[in-house]
Amino acid sequence: MAEKVKGFKLEPKQLRIYGLVGSVVGIYLAAFLNMATGTNIFAFVGALAALFGVVMGANAVRRVCAYGIGTGVPSIGMLSLGMGVVAVLFGLSIAEQLGIGILGAIIALVYSLIFGYVVGLIANRVMGFNIPVMEEGLTDLSGAGTLAILGWCFAISGSLSYEAIVTDVFNTGFLAIIFICGGLAILHPFNANLGPDEKQDRTLVNGVMVGGMSTIATGVCALMTLGLAAGMVEIVVGFAVWYYFYVWYFRLAKRDASAVVGTGLLPPSAL
Amino acid sequence: MNFDANTIIYFLEIVVGGLLVGIGVHFVPVGGAPAAMAQATGIGTGTVQLAAGSGLTGLLSAGLMMSVTDNIWPILATGAVGAMIMMDATMLTGSWIYAYAVGAPFASAKVNYDPITKFSQPPYVAPGTVGQGIPTVCYVSGTIGAAMGGIGGAMIYYPLMQINGNPAMSAVFAIGIFMVDAVLASWNIQGTIEGFHDPKFKKWPKAFKACLVATVILGIVAVLITPLSGGA
Repeated sequence: MAEKVKGFKLEPKQLRIYGLVGSVVGIYLAAFLNMATGTNIFAFVGALAALFGVVMGANAVRRVCAYGIGTGVPSIGMLSLGMGVVAVLFGLSIAEQLGIGILGAIIALVYSLIFGYVVGLIANRVMGFNIPVMEEGLTDLSGAGTLAILGWCFAISGSLSYEAIVTDVFNTGFLAIIFICGGLAILHPFNANLGPDEKQDRTLVNGVMVGGMSTIATGVCALMTLGLAAGMVEIVVGFAVWYYFYVWYFRLAKRDASAVVGTGLLPPSAL
Repeated sequence: MNFDANTIIYFLEIVVGGLLVGIGVHFVPVGGAPAAMAQATGIGTGTVQLAAGSGLTGLLSAGLMMSVTDNIWPILATGAVGAMIMMDATMLTGSWIYAYAVGAPFASAKVNYDPITKFSQPPYVAPGTVGQGIPTVCYVSGTIGAAMGGIGGAMIYYPLMQINGNPAMSAVFAIGIFMVDAVLASWNIQGTIEGFHDPKFKKWPKAFKACLVATVILGIVAVLITPLSGGA
């Protein structure tokens, strides 16, 4: 392949900082923009913020699962989202009770990081996994699940308040969509790319691509809860993210393939 | 958030529910991808999918019963029956495919004689595989596991409903606890198990400890969640 494709290689620490800071700042920025302008059009910023968390989670999945956990990659993604959903509900609820509603996201994140570390500790000490990055990986994963759920919840409800999220996301059942789409964005990249020639950039670009599709899905939900304008903006942004990263992913897949041959279904110019 | 004796009972119910889920997973004959190719005994999918499937069915049926009564016993029983029906239907239809489409004899590779039917197993295990299909003992074991999962799911759902009174929130929270315990248990059995006759079953105390710690941490936050101020 003569074509030069943009690739990257990031340290887990770097990615963790990008993921945590990017996601938290993004979610609060979105909440602030919505509050300041009095609209809900900026809900899509929350969905984009979730993508930072997804990238961090996808990287943690590839680090932990590279050791082989015996149960397939999906289990760890579901664990991540399971921890995330508990943390989000708890964080938002407790912040509301203490009268510091705006700090709900931070409380949820801190709780999930601690819980993830404890689960990692259990996995290594009690179950005898002996995977050196287990604690670290599950801390990241738990945080990523929380940030993904929080970001996409915001994308549907347009507000960070406990009441809005419960009414718009939980009671409507849209959380199930976030649960599965968010889980896919975190677990699918490594599941799809695993193998001896798995490369970090290809896996993570795939993660963002799936995240873009999840944003489209939340946009469709937002059509109902936030109205036409905010929903459409989200769908368009999600589509743009998906398209950009799909093309990038396709190039990376061609870069790493030993040969690309057409089946005749697509025109040769598409390859 | 008002703290009284009931809160402690709810907390204990959630912990027991989580433990039931964790132990119940050990009973379910999970074969994973090899079983899907009829190269291992059990149902051809992963633990999490099976546990989630039976748990959610149990949750649904428990929720249905809860709309009629507040008594915990019928709710637990309905949860168990719902989960058992789901798991048995999966195993039954799976067995039809193994028997009539794949054409594999049902045999367990972990024991020489089926503990329930006393049939000899090794002659029927195809060379290069670790058993095929779902023999009687696995079927019985799976039904027990599903019952435990269903009771566990209902036991998590019931106190949550008493605390926050919001079915959607309780269900989601119960699914969260369910996922954590099911995944921890499935890591303990490393993906595949045949049922209570499998040597791996002896590892259950590890999952018990792990699920205990995890569920306690989750249970503490579960009892702190309050209903919406508007009284949803």
